[in-house]
Amino acid sequence: MLTLIRKSSGLLGMNSRNLTYIRPSNLKNAIRLADNKLRSKELLFKAGIPVPKVYGVIKSRAELEKFNWADLPKSFVLKPNHGRGGEGIKVIFGQKKDESWVSTEGKRVTKKDLQNHMMDIFEGFYSLSGISDIAFFEERIQISKTLKPYSYKGIPDIRVIVYNNVPVMAMLRLPTKESEGKANLHLGGIGLGIDVANGISTHAVQRDQLIEKHPDSKLKLSGIRIPYWRKILEISIQCQKISKLGYIGVDIAIDRERGPVVLEVNAHSGLSIQIANLAPLKYRLQKVQGIKVKDEAHGIRITQDLFGGEIEEEIEEISGKQVLGIIETIKIKYQKKEMKGVEEVGKDKSKIEKREEKKLEEIELKAKIDTGAGASSLDKEIAQKLGYGDVINEFDEVIKNLEINQNSKADVLDEQIKEYLEKWGETFSTILIRSSHGISYRLMIKMNIILSGIEIVSRMSVIDRSHLEFPVIIGKKDLIRFIIDPSKKSQITTNVLE
Amino acid sequence: MSEIVNFIISQGVDVETVYLLLALPFIATLIVIFRQVIGVKSFGVYTPLVLAFAFWAIGLKYGLAIFVVILVSGTAMRYFLKEFRLLYLPRIAIVLTVISIAILGLLTLAGYLGKMGLAATSILPILIMITLIEKFISTQVEKGIRTATILSIETIIISSAGYYFIVWDRFRDLILNHPEYIILLLVINIILGKWTGLRLREYFRFKDVIKHVDTN
Repeated sequence: MLTLIRKSSGLLGMNSRNLTYIRPSNLKNAIRLADNKLRSKELLFKAGIPVPKVYGVIKSRAELEKFNWADLPKSFVLKPNHGRGGEGIKVIFGQKKDESWVSTEGKRVTKKDLQNHMMDIFEGFYSLSGISDIAFFEERIQISKTLKPYSYKGIPDIRVIVYNNVPVMAMLRLPTKESEGKANLHLGGIGLGIDVANGISTHAVQRDQLIEKHPDSKLKLSGIRIPYWRKILEISIQCQKISKLGYIGVDIAIDRERGPVVLEVNAHSGLSIQIANLAPLKYRLQKVQGIKVKDEAHGIRITQDLFGGEIEEEIEEISGKQVLGIIETIKIKYQKKEMKGVEEVGKDKSKIEKREEKKLEEIELKAKIDTGAGASSLDKEIAQKLGYGDVINEFDEVIKNLEINQNSKADVLDEQIKEYLEKWGETFSTILIRSSHGISYRLMIKMNIILSGIEIVSRMSVIDRSHLEFPVIIGKKDLIRFIIDPSKKSQITTNVLE
Repeated sequence: MSEIVNFIISQGVDVETVYLLLALPFIATLIVIFRQVIGVKSFGVYTPLVLAFAFWAIGLKYGLAIFVVILVSGTAMRYFLKEFRLLYLPRIAIVLTVISIAILGLLTLAGYLGKMGLAATSILPILIMITLIEKFISTQVEKGIRTATILSIETIIISSAGYYFIVWDRFRDLILNHPEYIILLLVINIILGKWTGLRLREYFRFKDVIKHVDTN
């Protein structure tokens, strides 16, 4: 019982939300502004926040009769100005030839239908307290490619809760078949928890129950990376400043071309976001309370520091990386060719056939870890001893025959070298080096190397390093999984090569 | 009986009226507790309160029967009228017409079957129940049939609880003997008005979140 109370103490319940957060943070004027979609939209627009365009406002029956329907584009959204929870919104997908439209549900919508719907809006059927309302036409957001596979017909939107200029929690809402293409949770839409620090989805809920896969497309719902995440957080914080709501829920959709667009701001943001994130909200609100937040970047930094789950993992991942010094001993795997005599048991007993056998061997080499180099490189002589001699010689021959000079064109040379590369197989490739002397080519060999116990597949360029201390240089491309500590001393073994 | 109550009665006020007026704030507080502490939502405070008294006036059994008939015929009518695309007010008027006919039918049927108690139901409680249909239908439109149904079941539960309090003899005795307890209700409601704890129901709603909270 005690643990239950302790565990649930960070949860934000309806009572606490209303009394502790909405009442003191959201003043009446600010709430009234947020509830008035057209006015808040205008205010946001003036402040430079992207919002859907308004095609027309209709205030009364008389205005409805005068309305010029030809002014509307082929697709649009019809909304009540004071609607709540996404009620009374009609989304028109396209226009038919007979001057009727198609809704996102795929139903045919006539002018009469829209007029009737607007009459309902005027009657206050969808408005917050049943008072008479006005209707407006708005731009329809084009669904972004990233989120399209996860959405049934409608447009998904992102809810970000901002408190004290810090985005504290976020959720992606997906429309489903059950919700008839609407992204509203109480209609059966999916709520996806988002790691507010980096915009990657975590858990999913539908009707307050945890789910793993989208019920319609069966796609896995966790791990979706929401595009423009930083921009979304910035916009959310700006919306708080503009709307003067201390506790705000900002609804943002991502348009295919325009990017994040603010749909509306809410003074009474729901509590389901806690289930989608499997995280208590009150705890987060308490954490950011009283912090002096300088600007958007500061607010985002606080979010990342306090609530970013993935960031912690990244640090763990880094600390789990192998640490290398400047000089390391590496192992290169190669195939040792041996000529073995095999006695042929046959008619002619004297005949001994020589057969080539391949054996996998390793050699240890001293290597310099060089973050200044891109690719790793290996001494030519050693490469020859490792069994690549034939190709190396042939390569040298080819380069010589090409007669590269300062006027040589790289693309012409590439064509000629390509022919040989095809013959040598995918183990070999070349790299073009441009310098003040013109262009030159180096041979690259794919080989498996073992660095600090970790095996990596490396493409090493072959170059004469006989006059240098280290026969091997390990470059950036092969150092992704390591951290370099220059003070680390490595046990140097001498190059063993028979 | 308390002196105050005796005094009021001696002035000619009906004892039943005194009881019901004194019981009203208690039932209202009960509904507030249902909502703020337990988390049973219902349609606001007024609807379950009025319904509880309507149940008291015509008896729980008949009250429920009439209320369910109102809800079902009202909902059916709404779906039927959807196709006709009428304006809101005429639509509601048609719904009310059908409900009136349905209740008339119910009462006649009850009389025919010899259930005189139901047939002789007074009109006022019925009218009160009919007025609630508008709220029910607008909830249906706004939040969907599912939420509306859940809310109406919750309303019925709360109203029934209120009904049982009103007809409970010991509750009646308590109120008539100690009408001063109404002062206590003010205190309780001030406390409830400042109550920021989780509602009982929210513990269930957020059970998955609670499971994921680390305690250390």
